[in-house]
Amino acid sequence: MITLPKSTTEADVLTHLSADKTALEIKNLNLYYGDKQALFDISMKIPKGKVTAFIGPSGCGKSTLLRCINRMNDLVDICRVDGTIELQGTNIYEKSVDVASLRRRVGMVFQRPNPFPKSIYENVVYGLRLQGIKDRRVLDEAAETSLRSAALWNEVKDRLHDNAFGLSGGQQQRLVIARAVAIGPEVLLLDEPTSALDPISTLTIEELITELKEKFTVVIVTHNMQQAARVSDQTAFMYMGKLIEYTDTNTLFTAPKEKQTEDYITGRYG
Amino acid sequence: MNKWFKSGTPWIWMTGGAVSISLIMVIGLFILIGWRGLSFFWPATVYEFDMVDKQGNHMNVIGEIYDTEIVQKQQLIEAGITGLEDKGDTLERYLIKIGNREYVDLDFQWILETVITEKHIPDNIVVLERTKNGNFYGYIKAIQENGVALTLTQTELETELASRLSITQALKDKEHALLKGDIGRINFDLEKIRLKKRKLDLDGLLTTEKITDFENQSQLLRDEYLSLETQLFDYRKQALRDSVVITDMTGRDVVMPIATVLDFYLPNKMSFIEKVGHWFHQTGKFVSDDPREANTEGGVFPAIFGTVFMVMLMAVIVTPFGVVAAIYLHEYAPKNNLTKFIRIAVINLAGVPSIVYGVFGLGFFVYIVGGSIDQLLYPEALPSPTFGSPGVLWSALTLAILTLPVVIVSTEEGLSRIPSALREGSLALGATKSETLWRIIVPMASPAIMTGLILAVARAAGEVAPLMLVGVVKMAPTLPVDGNFPYLHLERKFMHLGFHIYDVGFQSPNVEAARPLVYATSFLLVTVIIGLNLAAIAIRNNLREKYRSLEH
Repeated sequence: MITLPKSTTEADVLTHLSADKTALEIKNLNLYYGDKQALFDISMKIPKGKVTAFIGPSGCGKSTLLRCINRMNDLVDICRVDGTIELQGTNIYEKSVDVASLRRRVGMVFQRPNPFPKSIYENVVYGLRLQGIKDRRVLDEAAETSLRSAALWNEVKDRLHDNAFGLSGGQQQRLVIARAVAIGPEVLLLDEPTSALDPISTLTIEELITELKEKFTVVIVTHNMQQAARVSDQTAFMYMGKLIEYTDTNTLFTAPKEKQTEDYITGRYG
Repeated sequence: MNKWFKSGTPWIWMTGGAVSISLIMVIGLFILIGWRGLSFFWPATVYEFDMVDKQGNHMNVIGEIYDTEIVQKQQLIEAGITGLEDKGDTLERYLIKIGNREYVDLDFQWILETVITEKHIPDNIVVLERTKNGNFYGYIKAIQENGVALTLTQTELETELASRLSITQALKDKEHALLKGDIGRINFDLEKIRLKKRKLDLDGLLTTEKITDFENQSQLLRDEYLSLETQLFDYRKQALRDSVVITDMTGRDVVMPIATVLDFYLPNKMSFIEKVGHWFHQTGKFVSDDPREANTEGGVFPAIFGTVFMVMLMAVIVTPFGVVAAIYLHEYAPKNNLTKFIRIAVINLAGVPSIVYGVFGLGFFVYIVGGSIDQLLYPEALPSPTFGSPGVLWSALTLAILTLPVVIVSTEEGLSRIPSALREGSLALGATKSETLWRIIVPMASPAIMTGLILAVARAAGEVAPLMLVGVVKMAPTLPVDGNFPYLHLERKFMHLGFHIYDVGFQSPNVEAARPLVYATSFLLVTVIIGLNLAAIAIRNNLREKYRSLEH
């Protein structure tokens, strides 16, 4: 535990985070779609074992930033990135980095549940099968652990071999989380994971996020400020492709430093 | 009225009407060809007509009423027919199938109702199906063994004929089995030895000891053949022992070896149930027998087999090519004008007239590819071509090119319907693009691939024009699959139902006899295509159920 001088604000804690407590460090990140710039000079450190939330109005670039972390933006032909993102000290945009193995370390869950048209079991072990694991015992064990950690095991243990489309929306989303957890990532990216779900399922997922941070670094994008306030340890507010304010969640919601942040959280726009 | 138009009701009536008309046309066509084709196998009543001709001579005609038409009296009077003054305005005219082709001028005759003085249905008229010259109508008079008539009563004649017929048939079956089996194998082996010898000769490796070796082998085969040949001739001689004497409509007795009779029945004596049984028997024979007499008699089995075999071979060829091409176009090709151009070109390939593909297939596959294969792999058989002449493989390949656009277009559509969320989900789990393709995308697109295949099969099975250039023949002596190694003979020519229809209907010497066969074959072709499609649709629905995509 580092003792800090009294004058340091909470934001400074994040800036001066030591290397062993940093999961991700984003440095001077700019992103362009063709000629249009979508992200402007973003720098931030995301602490290990915590939940970090990105909030902001629609089109502010929060999802784009999230998708930079596992290089999902590579799929867009006209997208160009400069700047660096360091995962455990290595720049993920380095030429030598294998995108597939990067994505194994940085898992992602999307807005809408997207289970594969396979059985529940096959969905969970998909990532492991990709890695060439064939041992039935290892797969069974991994499936159970992941489903338990996604709080789904009790609901599906009797129908593991049924089609995943038979599950409800909330269950499907937890299945997708279990699928991402199964390959043992370091960071878990959640892109508005509850936006397509009903309130009760949302609550279950939120409880789950709090549990997940014990094992993983979680980065969540949400347009729901209450959700950010409920689940996250620190929050970044973005506006028009710029990182406006990034500090611990309490401070951001109770005493925002920036005028734009205050306007947003008090509901003046967005 | 204006309100009625606005309500959209006329629109519903119009669209519904269009659907009904299409349905009625399809079902009507199916019923027409089905009825006209299948009723041919029903044992028709055979009549005996007493007629008086212009000179006042009495004549007897035995036959089936094949067709009836109504003619205007005026028309007949102008044609020079007299004695119609007291008749009505219209008269009936019958087309009678007389059979007995070698004894009469015309085996189908038009007879005006006025010349018929009496018409009866004698019970014991017999119809003989023969290996040559079509049906024979008459009365059984006697059965001869070695030319000596047996003493039998009228009722005994029928049962005796039936039992002697089955004995003769058994002998003929044995003869056929011998020809196709052992003798066929010996010929095949002899040809192989000849080719081996020729190959060694070409390579300059033919030594005298090898020649004697080959000679010995051939001699063994020839000796075996000679013993089989005596057996064959023995069967033939035995089969010729019995004959049947039939009295025809003019009262003449005709002696007919039972070996030339395939089947006989007494249609006027049959009960309804017996007729149904006979119908099934005849239909079964049509589907399972080889054609006879320039395809106007017998069955169409080789054509069914050839059609199905060729279509399946085509499906096996076109599916991987089409799917791989569609995957490249959709997943890997850069999205620029060149790709767009290629896509348009592929779609337009579907509009090229099929005969053009036939010409291409003949020029490219048969002559260039097949010719080169012969030069490289079968030089010993030259100058007679092996792959360098039209055959079932080249037909399948030609049709595969013809149907390729269909498969590509529907596969691409299937690929583009898969939600991008699934691709991203797979990629986010550390899958590479190709892993995502083979594990998620292609299985999910498989119903669309099957749809493409269904359309391809439907088109290929009905295509005839290009096949006439690249492999279909009027009469193929052997099927492309048989018991001689390597069992599949893709270089062989084959028969096809579509071509069979053309050949029987428009190239046959006996149009009247062939007409019902045209309907029956058409009906069969449509049935085969529907069958192939239903099989593919069943597979597709199964896949659809399995890969139901996200629908919330």
